[in-house]
Amino acid sequence: MIKQQVKKIMAEVFEININDIEDDASQKTISAWDSMDHLNLIVELEEKFDICLEPEEIGEMITLEIIVKTIENIKK
Amino acid sequence: MEYYIYRNFTVENLFKGIGASYSGYGDISHIPKEAKNYIWFYLPPVKMNQNELITELFDFQNKFQLLFEQIPVSKTVIAFTITTLFDIKFENGNFSLLDSINSFNNLLIETASNNSNLKIIDIRDFQKNVNQSLLDWKYYYISQSLITPKLNSSFKLWFEQKLEAIQGKRKKCLILDLDNTLWGGILGEDGIEGIKIGDTYPGLAFLNFQENILEAASNGVIIAICSKNNEEDVLEAFSNHPFQLIKEKHISAHRINWQDKVTNIQELSDELNIGLDSFVFIDDNPIERERVKQMLPMVEVPDFPEHPYLMSSFFGEMYHNYFQLYHLTKEDKNKTQQYISNSERSINQKTFASIDDYLESLKMELEVIEANKFTIPRIAQMTQKTNQFNLSTKRYTENDLYEFINQSSLVHCLSVRDKFGDNGISVASIVFINGEVAEIDSFLLSCRILGRNIENAYVDFLINLIYDKGIKKIIAKYIPSQKNRQTESFYENNGFTLEKTFETGVKLYFLNIENKRKIKEYYKFKIIS
Repeated sequence: MIKQQVKKIMAEVFEININDIEDDASQKTISAWDSMDHLNLIVELEEKFDICLEPEEIGEMITLEIIVKTIENIKK
Repeated sequence: MEYYIYRNFTVENLFKGIGASYSGYGDISHIPKEAKNYIWFYLPPVKMNQNELITELFDFQNKFQLLFEQIPVSKTVIAFTITTLFDIKFENGNFSLLDSINSFNNLLIETASNNSNLKIIDIRDFQKNVNQSLLDWKYYYISQSLITPKLNSSFKLWFEQKLEAIQGKRKKCLILDLDNTLWGGILGEDGIEGIKIGDTYPGLAFLNFQENILEAASNGVIIAICSKNNEEDVLEAFSNHPFQLIKEKHISAHRINWQDKVTNIQELSDELNIGLDSFVFIDDNPIERERVKQMLPMVEVPDFPEHPYLMSSFFGEMYHNYFQLYHLTKEDKNKTQQYISNSERSINQKTFASIDDYLESLKMELEVIEANKFTIPRIAQMTQKTNQFNLSTKRYTENDLYEFINQSSLVHCLSVRDKFGDNGISVASIVFINGEVAEIDSFLLSCRILGRNIENAYVDFLINLIYDKGIKKIIAKYIPSQKNRQTESFYENNGFTLEKTFETGVKLYFLNIENKRKIKEYYKFKIIS
């Protein structure tokens, strides 16, 4: 569920098709995922999930899997 | 490259998608020639040492001046003011940081007042709008961005509005309802004594609203009234209510009747000679607003506040969204007066035996001015705003015009004065010279000077001017738009030969000049170069 929501946000921020975002997506596989859009992604994630991410977490959230895990942990 | 941005911090998040390239942080050594415009966007860096910070802010001034001097005057520079992002006051009563900030901003203002290619955007206006700190420490530490990426989209919207203001793409006329809009209550039911406008709430809120409208009028916004009321009651309230500030003389046109507002607004558009897309309609009644929105989608219809105490902030936002102009030209200030003297002029017209007598009686003075740095902002503004009497409707920026002049094109404007008043610069023409042939690229008149045949006299004048340059062949085009129908036979009527009509409706004309044309003597042309 969270994974699907994150994919949707990623598709919007990176301006790509949601179907092109695989489960193993990462900064390496998505070329639009640069440092600028990384920040935009974080802004959207914080707003949509109503969470506050720590700078350390933000630095590590460079794959879809880690992003989903981090959010799940906060939401627990 | 549309914009080249000089900056001292991360701004990529703010200007995404506008076609910008960026300098290195604090680097002014490179001035790419291919950039159409330059942006200067510096903000005070995060530095705790106050002396160092202040020294750096004073250094902004040197940098800016050095850079600005090297940018050709034909290019626009948009400079942001600076502001305090955070301020830890180590000593109470120490204003040196504020002083260094003001001093930079004053330098910008002073430079802009002497250089029309410098436009200033005040970042403090954005700060006020978003009503939150621009600096978010968390995002600063992870990205060195002084403006939090959370504000990306608000910044983009705000910046676009500022650009529109700089380019002069603004609305022209405010159409106002009366009951519960200009005053509280309903005139027809409550009577003059019963309507609320005065020095206590809610009357005071309506009074302030009227003050705002008059201020807008003195800044070139045209005021019209559209209200369901008895006209004589309203005119009586206008002249006899002790607190009523808006008087008949401030209003360029009105429809006070029981007809539906859509028809009334269309009539106002005809009477004032202003396209529907230049109107903003203000009405407290949501049903009227909805009907206008549905039937006349080109008219802007902002939501009206439900409480009188919200009207001032409503006005501020509405004005900012639709009317704020960057560079107020002299013509804007006189505009209300001009529209009013136009109707006086048409009353006057009826008493003369022939149109020649009338035109002669106007004592017209026509100054032909070669484009220069003082007139280029107005010429660019006219190409942007003139729709009806515009043969080709080509929109140009100040930079475009400088380029034409560099290529020896003839760029002229005409300042029109007569016994009723000064219309300022209200005609513009652009003629390209290609060897033996002159091409009239743009020919346009502000509609407020129509009715005096100046357009015909000026085209003759222009033909003579081209002839005097030794050029005998002219080509010209009529390019149809939604609004310029009235000009479709202009060139035929002035002796040009229609060569071809294209499928798109574009008409191509030729003219061989055999003799100079004779111009009626009451058109007193004077050339200013």
